[in-house]
Amino acid sequence: MSRRLHIEVFRYNPLDPNSEPHMQSFYVNEYDSMTLFIALNLIRDEQDPTVQFDFCCRAGICGSCGMVINGRPGLACHTQTKDLPDHIVLHPLPVFKLIGDLSVDTGTWFRDAGARIEAWVHNDHDDFDASAEEVRMENDLANDIFELDRCIECGCCVSACGTARMREDFLGATSIARIARFYLDPRDERNEENYYQVIGNDQGVFGCMGLLGCEDVCPKHIPLQDQLGIMRRMLAIHSVKGILPKRVLDKLKHKGCCHESH
Amino acid sequence: MQIIYSDLLCIGAGLAGERVAVEAAKAGFNVTCLSIVPPRRSHSSAAQGGMQAALGNAIMGDGDCPDIHFADTVKGSDWGCDQEVARIFADTAPIVMREVAHWGVPWNRVEAGVHTYYKGGKPFDAEEKRDKHGLIHARAFGGTAKWRTCYTADGTGRSVLNTLDSMCLRYEVGIHDRTQAEALIHDGENCLGAIVRCLKTGELKAYLATATLIATGGYGRIYRATTNAVICDGGGQIAALDTGLVPMGNMEAIQFHPTGTVPTDILVTEGCRGDGGTLLDVNEYRFMPDYEPEKAELASRDVVSRRMQEHIRKGLGVKSPYGDHLWLDIRHLGEKHITTKLREVYDICTNFLGVNPIHDLIPVRPTQHYSMGGIRTNKDGAAYGLKGLFSAGESACWDMHGFNRLGGNSLAETVVAGRYVGKKIVEFLQGHTVDFKQSAINDAHTKVAARIMEMTKSSSKQESAIQLRDEMHSTMMDNVGIFRNGKDLQAAVDKLDELIDRSKSIKLQGTAIGFNPEISLALRIPGMLKLAQCTAYGALMRTESRGAHTREDFPERNDKEWLNRTLAYWKDGETRPELKYEETTPYFEIPPGERGYGGGKIIAADIPEEKLQVPGKGTDKKKAKQTKKAS
Amino acid sequence: MDASTLTLHVRKNGAGVGRLDVMQMLSGVLLIVFLWAHLMLVSSVLISPKLMDAIAWFFEATYMAQVGGPLIGLLIFTHFLLAARKMPWRASETNAFVKHSVMMHHKDTWLWLAQVATALLILVMASIHMWVVLTDLPITAVKSAARIQSGTWLPFYLVLLPLAEIHVGIGFYRIGVKYGYITKANRKWYQRLENYMMGGFITIGLITLIRFLFLTV
Ligand SMILES: Cc1cc2nc3c(=O)[nH]c(=O)nc-3n(C[C@H](O)[C@H](O)[C@H](O)COP(=O)(O)OP(=O)(O)OC[C@H]3O[C@@H](n4cnc5c(N)ncnc54)[C@H](O)[C@@H]3O)c2cc1C
Ligand code: HEM
Ligand code: SF4
Ligand code: SF4
Ligand code: FES
Repeated sequence: MSRRLHIEVFRYNPLDPNSEPHMQSFYVNEYDSMTLFIALNLIRDEQDPTVQFDFCCRAGICGSCGMVINGRPGLACHTQTKDLPDHIVLHPLPVFKLIGDLSVDTGTWFRDAGARIEAWVHNDHDDFDASAEEVRMENDLANDIFELDRCIECGCCVSACGTARMREDFLGATSIARIARFYLDPRDERNEENYYQVIGNDQGVFGCMGLLGCEDVCPKHIPLQDQLGIMRRMLAIHSVKGILPKRVLDKLKHKGCCHESH
Repeated sequence: MQIIYSDLLCIGAGLAGERVAVEAAKAGFNVTCLSIVPPRRSHSSAAQGGMQAALGNAIMGDGDCPDIHFADTVKGSDWGCDQEVARIFADTAPIVMREVAHWGVPWNRVEAGVHTYYKGGKPFDAEEKRDKHGLIHARAFGGTAKWRTCYTADGTGRSVLNTLDSMCLRYEVGIHDRTQAEALIHDGENCLGAIVRCLKTGELKAYLATATLIATGGYGRIYRATTNAVICDGGGQIAALDTGLVPMGNMEAIQFHPTGTVPTDILVTEGCRGDGGTLLDVNEYRFMPDYEPEKAELASRDVVSRRMQEHIRKGLGVKSPYGDHLWLDIRHLGEKHITTKLREVYDICTNFLGVNPIHDLIPVRPTQHYSMGGIRTNKDGAAYGLKGLFSAGESACWDMHGFNRLGGNSLAETVVAGRYVGKKIVEFLQGHTVDFKQSAINDAHTKVAARIMEMTKSSSKQESAIQLRDEMHSTMMDNVGIFRNGKDLQAAVDKLDELIDRSKSIKLQGTAIGFNPEISLALRIPGMLKLAQCTAYGALMRTESRGAHTREDFPERNDKEWLNRTLAYWKDGETRPELKYEETTPYFEIPPGERGYGGGKIIAADIPEEKLQVPGKGTDKKKAKQTKKAS
Repeated sequence: MDASTLTLHVRKNGAGVGRLDVMQMLSGVLLIVFLWAHLMLVSSVLISPKLMDAIAWFFEATYMAQVGGPLIGLLIFTHFLLAARKMPWRASETNAFVKHSVMMHHKDTWLWLAQVATALLILVMASIHMWVVLTDLPITAVKSAARIQSGTWLPFYLVLLPLAEIHVGIGFYRIGVKYGYITKANRKWYQRLENYMMGGFITIGLITLIRFLFLTV
């Protein structure tokens, strides 16, 4: 079946004043179980040692290798070439600062977002008693929290989000899912008002326009859509507390999908 | 050159690096973490299985305690570990698991009632106790007497790393990612920080610090087939070795994991076998019980890997274009179990192998996985040779693993050592000041800058870093693998001599302004060759078989002559390390004996009576140990 | 004036943005209900022009048309103000979004662009339509038919009808998504529903227009 793949790679080195953004073509022979990780490394080893791209785990678990593959953000290491046409076009993820070629600075973006939403369990960390047994938790709840902890911060969802593309300070679905993780977690002592202060704005949940690009590209299938809905509803209801009767609000809150029953 | 000062410089921001960082930052010190990738992408995130700690909540771990964990660890190490350290580890592990739970790790919990579990491929029912409901649960892992491995589904590394990284955010640890430490700054006595290359701009910077921690993980990339990430190239070990003062411990102790997948070498977790997965040969026959009637697939890693290799050598492997392999069978665990508890495994199989593990067998073979050896430290995590230099995690040879580490013990080591060493570093920082000598900074900087200059200049040099890397890979794969012998090892050592020599004339193939990925490899290769040589030469000299180090020509474990630890020093300009040996452990809480699996003959040692006593505890060990060592 | 009113750099405790979002959603919901009700009223002509006249008479006799009409106008205006916060008014934003849609070839992303585009046209056309109808009360089937048969109004309605239905259909789906009523599990089903609804309402609207076209004045 061996095909000859035509791989077009975006090239631009922002540090080089003579560098102009352009597409460069490479040709690689395909073989069995080939992934874009293998193909790009072949290109770097054999054709052009200066191509910049990022891989780390090469197993789809670290999130380093997000890039735009034929128009869709995805992980290069878990994209098998056999699932692609023989013409493959690779771009760096938009939104994030370009380091060079296919490499972008997701680290700074995610750290900044994490700081803005205060992405840690808010409790008295020093209140830990080494001799006491751990506080108990239901296993189902632990699983629900882990479900959201599985995000690998690849940035695909942010790059697939039209809102993030238009508005630089939008926190993106990943950050909202991250807050949802803390909202679920009984160890985090923040209340609804605290969460409202960090994401109850146009940079947070209310900025999301429900386009679901995020949901449709997330390589880890994090339930972004459902979490966006849950958080938006929770915070919207929070904002009109005191206007509508409490009974009505409670009813609205528990309608539809939700983990809130836990 | 930009100079950045901190109290503590953590080179590496995986679990070990971040745990230490949190400890120091909480104590009010200014901490900077360096990492090649954003911290959450560190290879710790890839660890799926779990962390061992004797909590004894699960019914299958009922009655577990640090003593049993300690004994398993010592046996696992084939008596190659430092028993004082292993003791600290086993005693502290439960506390650390609870501590990270307090900070947010969503450990799986005990659910009271009857559950179906698997052992050796057979389902059985067990009833979890009501009074343990909601406490941290545990699963089975190889080489343990009890089910002791705490886990979060199959993303333990991910969730603990997320939690620690969130703590770093909370305590304002400075994270400088996309940086790579190239050399340590030292004055011959004190470590003063590191010269660091920025991977965004290619610039060199000096990071000065009163204390420096190396927590850069393993160096699996000296092998071609490894489960390690592409960044696991031993940068930290190289920087330490290059000082000529800091020795590497037990570099010949390399662990091969039984279930690296073919052809991509991506690991599928031991949890597969822990949950009841079995190994099959070309005839789809389950062969492990024939070799290891009691533990079968759940014997320790070195044993299973060796048995697999043995079986393949008998011609019973499955032929494939990528070499012979065996099968891992988890089909009987069922769709629900595979897509929830082993979801990451499911994803790997479908995304990378095109195999659906619910219906198909998974192609596996033993693959390089873990480096027991590394920067030799004392029990406080302080490196030999330089004051102010510490190491923790896989990069260190703290030495609780000896010649074989147990599954689930290394991830636990990162946080347990992280906490323990972190406290020691805090003590060190509280009582220590240091002079940052300009000359030392300049020396270190000049050395790195000169190497880069050399490679860029057009001259008679022509070695390609990629070529050298490929030759190193072939040598290590062919001659320093699971089964070793004098002839192959000698060939490897000779070849590495040659490669080390050639690595002095590396020349870049391309040019780029700013960051150039080719320089990263070119800078690393000479050091990786040295680590490879420490491994090969250490293995050649160690004429016995112990743990993962298996010599076909010396099959017995020789406690008489080799109950010791190899220390490899590298003097500037040499092609081989200088080897020294030190005692394995200050005392034997458990005297050398049979592991109970793996077979093999033992040449016994005469151990003086005083070495068999735990200092301060006399012979009445049991009682003293029951009281947990809280800190 | 409290301490937080001067500097922008303190935590805000106001519920502002959340309330605006709720109001936008409510204005959307009301408009959906209105539009469908409106369509039902008009298409009653299909059953009989007399029925349509009777309904129109009822609305006027109770002064619902005279008061409700302008109220709907106000509602549309309010909705416009609220929704406009999200529109890509800056060229750079439009540019970025269009580029993004082209890159992604992703349906839901295109749909939003469709909603923005239809919105602008509706703003103009709905205003004209309302002005014309409400300044020429009473509403009767004959008057409407006359307008449509006059020529210029037919193309006008042929454009406005699908625009409004598309805008509302997408709006319905997206309110569901944004507020978490449409979930991962039932999204496919709602997407289908959205299509059927848009198709169905446009068809009813078209048939109604045809009926007017052939209604003897
Ligand atoms: C696939 C896989 C699965 C595993 N599963 C388990 C398991 O289930 N249970 C278990 O106990 N163990 C497991 N292990 C082993 C365990 O994960 C590792 O030993 C452990 O995570 C190492 O952690 P660390 O903090 O020491 O290093 P790492 O997590 O590897 O972190 C190293 C850090 O150092 C940085 N770094 C490296 N070089 C430099 C440099 N030159 N300059 C600056 N920074 C640098 C990196 O960027 C990174 O931040 C597994 C290992 C692998 C490969
Ligand atoms: C007057 C001109 C109008 C403009 C400028 C306008 C603009 C918009 C815009 C930009 C949106 C998207 C908002 C977002 O993405 O958050 C929207 C949503 C919507 N519009 Fe309009 N619209 C207009 C008239 C109408 C009319 C007449 C109706 C119905 C009869 C209507 C029904 C809706 C609905 C149901 C939504 C979804 C609400 C939401 O997402 O919260 N609109 N509108
Ligand atoms: S939510 Fe999904 S797409 Fe977004 S960063 Fe996390 S893993 Fe990537
Ligand atoms: S649903 Fe929200 S976060 Fe996701 S892509 Fe759309 S606008 Fe962005
Ligand atoms: S390299 Fe880690 S996710 Fe692709």
